[in-house]
Amino acid sequence: MKRIKIFVGILGMDQHELGAIAVAQMLRDAGMEVIYGGRFNVPATVVKTSLEEDLDVIGLSCHSWEYLHYLPDMFKMMKEEKIDVPVIVGGSVITPGDKKRLLEMGVAAAFPSGARNEDIIETVRNLAQ
Amino acid sequence: MSEHQTRSGIPLKPVYTPDDLKGKNYDEQLGTPGDFPYTRGRRADPSGGWMHRELSGEGDPARSNEQLKYLMTQGQIGLDVIGDSPTMAFMDPDHPLAANAIGTQGVSICCLDDFRTLYKDIPLDSVVVSASLPPAITAAALYLLAKENNVPLDQIRGSVIQAPFYAEDCGYAVHMPFRLRLRMAANCVEFCSKEMPRFHSFVEDTYFFNQAGLNAVDEMALGFIEIRHLTRELLRRGVDIDSFAPRIAILVDCNMDFFEEIAKIRATRRLFAKMMKEEFGAKDRRSLSAVITSHTSGLSLTPQQPVNNIVRGTVQSLALVLAGVQALEISAFDEAYRTPSPESHMVALRTQQILHLESNVAKVVDPLGGSYFIESLTDEMEERICKRIQEIEALGDPADLSDKGWFRKFFEETMAEYSRKIADGSMPKVGLNIFQIPEEEDTLLKEIVEGKIEPWWERIDKVKEYKGNRDPGRIKDALSAVLETAKDEDKNLMGATMEAFEAGATMGEIGGAMRLAYNCPYDPHGLIESPI
Repeated sequence: MKRIKIFVGILGMDQHELGAIAVAQMLRDAGMEVIYGGRFNVPATVVKTSLEEDLDVIGLSCHSWEYLHYLPDMFKMMKEEKIDVPVIVGGSVITPGDKKRLLEMGVAAAFPSGARNEDIIETVRNLAQ
Repeated sequence: MSEHQTRSGIPLKPVYTPDDLKGKNYDEQLGTPGDFPYTRGRRADPSGGWMHRELSGEGDPARSNEQLKYLMTQGQIGLDVIGDSPTMAFMDPDHPLAANAIGTQGVSICCLDDFRTLYKDIPLDSVVVSASLPPAITAAALYLLAKENNVPLDQIRGSVIQAPFYAEDCGYAVHMPFRLRLRMAANCVEFCSKEMPRFHSFVEDTYFFNQAGLNAVDEMALGFIEIRHLTRELLRRGVDIDSFAPRIAILVDCNMDFFEEIAKIRATRRLFAKMMKEEFGAKDRRSLSAVITSHTSGLSLTPQQPVNNIVRGTVQSLALVLAGVQALEISAFDEAYRTPSPESHMVALRTQQILHLESNVAKVVDPLGGSYFIESLTDEMEERICKRIQEIEALGDPADLSDKGWFRKFFEETMAEYSRKIADGSMPKVGLNIFQIPEEEDTLLKEIVEGKIEPWWERIDKVKEYKGNRDPGRIKDALSAVLETAKDEDKNLMGATMEAFEAGATMGEIGGAMRLAYNCPYDPHGLIESPI
């Protein structure tokens, strides 16, 4: 079975990193290859990484509202570059209302706080296929 | 034997008795509040209570000014303002990476005019103005504002946080090398000790890095390592210990382990007093008694059933009041989701007022002093914090540890460990990993958490316009002076910083000039050109 390759990073100036680090470790422990993008990403850096690394999934950790404004740009750039990689987001700031809007926007899955590790892993595996 | 233990792993007995205090000497270990070693508190008089305040700041400086004034009409004593994430990173709002973060998690500040607006109509000679903003810049701004408004400098009260060690790795990266961060802190403390003698220019903030999931022992050990290092640096620069030690404050986190948090604060006061007296030779009594301020734990809050966070804030505040802190801020109930709403700010302020005015808990200093359990736990905390400081300092020069990423790795491990404990349920979080309710039933206060603050994009054009209206030659000269001053380690950066700020330079430009002097890129993100 091909090893799943997933990007984990944070957009903009949001520096809350606890979630990203924990999820990256959890996915590594589940046997995936994690490209850890850390803080200070913009849509262009994520798209560049996706092109260079041939990612299976893009994972964004969100603990400020910046991602809500970056995501439409990112999807537009991905479309222009013909990148068809599922994007998932996770973080405590994601409200029930946000989740609905994110799924409408084209996000493949959104994990608010309290999501079970097994559910995240299973979702990533399904999306990577 | 009991299997119970505190959050940091101290074993707990079912019952404590006089045997637990055998061999302890009251005067040596405790003393009356107001006396060495200050375990029981800084003062014997409880009438001052504590300073009620809430961390605030959002949008542009004018919006934050309104917010501050409103909170003061509601009984808030003292101000504490935090910057948005670009401001905290020495980044102006017109930087491409700043746009979507302007004013959403704090106030957007970049020039002296912004500080004028932020503190408009706030009497600097009577209101305590604390700031979670870049410290040297803020101290410079307050100095200049005091001069402009003819406020005597010895009447300026308030504080700034010095975080040269951990900010870079833990939520507040400024992309400056350790040596520069340490020097800025030392220069700022030295300047304030001479010019603004009542201003607490040296706040050790253990709160923000404790949000990486540390335990109480590690929180204070890391805090003391930073205090000790910065103190040694100031002494090396020839600054007298008694000129700045009275203005050291420690801003602690408060998590849910009620008695451990109280013991942590009591142990911290004792450790600080002994360290200042015995190791650093402080003689002034005020140098020995640390001011303790506090913020209840944002990390302990849950997005699930946000109303429960009001209970968490109350329990933590009670612990802090019983421990005898000088100032308190409560993480608002909606903080797991958002920058505090006006509603949650109000609940947090009212929680403090109810504790203060209705519960009578603060009428006696150190009401838990003498408890077999509390004294035993305080001793144990002190011993463990001391041991941890020694262990980490034995690893090498803390400056090297910082540069080599030791602390970064440490925080990554604590973050992963904290998440593991939540995921496997070994750290119960009601509503999150135990006693959950279905999402559709979790509706109370949810309309508040759905609220958002839009980025203040209009700041981008305003700041561009501001920059365009300046005299370019004057700005260039002022920034070149910052750069030249920064190249000479023996010079104090505060003078050139104030001159540049007065000339109209921005925080982003001043920070960039300092980076250049230390052979770092002007813009760490490589997106804008240096004006010098």
